[in-house]
Amino acid sequence: MAKKEELPLGTIETYSNMHKWLRRALYVCLTALVIEGTLTFPLAMIWMGWPTLTLLEVCDEMGKVRWSDDDFKCIFPYPLFEKSEAEGQKTAKDKWGIQPTPGYRRIGYRDLVKFRDERLARQAANKAAEQSSLTNIQ
Amino acid sequence: MQLTATAPSLSTSFDEHHEKSRDAQNKADKWMIAGTIVIGTGVLGFIGFPLFMRGLHMLRKATREGLSVRPIICTLIGYLVIMDSALNSMGWAMDLLANHSLVNRLVTASWGALFDGGYYWHYNELGIGGAGAPGEKAWEIALIPTVFCMRLAAAIGFLQMKRWGHQWLIVTCYFGMIVWVGYNTNMTIFADVRFAHVTFPVIGWWAYDIFYITPFLSIPYLHTVNREIFTD
Repeated sequence: MAKKEELPLGTIETYSNMHKWLRRALYVCLTALVIEGTLTFPLAMIWMGWPTLTLLEVCDEMGKVRWSDDDFKCIFPYPLFEKSEAEGQKTAKDKWGIQPTPGYRRIGYRDLVKFRDERLARQAANKAAEQSSLTNIQ
Repeated sequence: MQLTATAPSLSTSFDEHHEKSRDAQNKADKWMIAGTIVIGTGVLGFIGFPLFMRGLHMLRKATREGLSVRPIICTLIGYLVIMDSALNSMGWAMDLLANHSLVNRLVTASWGALFDGGYYWHYNELGIGGAGAPGEKAWEIALIPTVFCMRLAAAIGFLQMKRWGHQWLIVTCYFGMIVWVGYNTNMTIFADVRFAHVTFPVIGWWAYDIFYITPFLSIPYLHTVNREIFTD
């Protein structure tokens, strides 16, 4: 009888155990949603290469990976009423069919920094090769 | 003579208890509402959490003192439904309406690359922008103005201990189950789009999203609570 008096309002003895475990699970969800809500943005940015890359560079590098396109630029601020940034793009590597499969690279920890460095090295090498071939022609 | 002397004293005692209970509930709710609004922004959650927990502590104290306040589990369900709806709506509303903002292209697309390729694959290629995964835009348009708005309204009614709030929370929690089943079926059918070359596919998605399971936790309670505690 004394135990019944301790039950929360609306909970009868039959369901008290279930309500107790539901309450515990709700505390877990509440705490997890707060942690996720707070940390998703900063941790995702650190994963993607911030602060080595600026936020605009992160946007830029993610676009370059997504479209497999070294020339993609993340425009900011994006003009209002302009068509979507990637409308009509032709560079994405997909295997098309009833189950399309993306062909972009997986982004591991700080990979965007590595991809950026590789691209800059590649571009520098191409430029050097072009210059040397021009010199040879002259 | 004795009757007339006792009657006002009893009445005052009840009124006092009622007044004290209402004050305690209002004070606790002010903290929890403030906390929930801040938690609903996502990134400021760590600021909102202590505000919310202070309100919850005040409510527990009032319960222990014997005041007639809302049960803790009802409070948790009501506010968690609001947070869940707010966080879901914010992410999806950004994808739908602010898809070319820098913050969206960073947070949504990076989340997509990490957990769900639907928010990375051909992102901002559709005429209306945002996620381009098959079916995704239809879910957003169906859920933001209908399910999540209804769930927010139902949760407010539920927190006020209204009978319609209890009934509508049951209805909208079943909507929540439909959302989970429909959404996951869509992801499974188009699993290549959603998970190929994603950093943390499938298990990562579940580990991240399982905490949005509130409807599944609420339904057993809503069906087993003594409905007499809700008023018309």
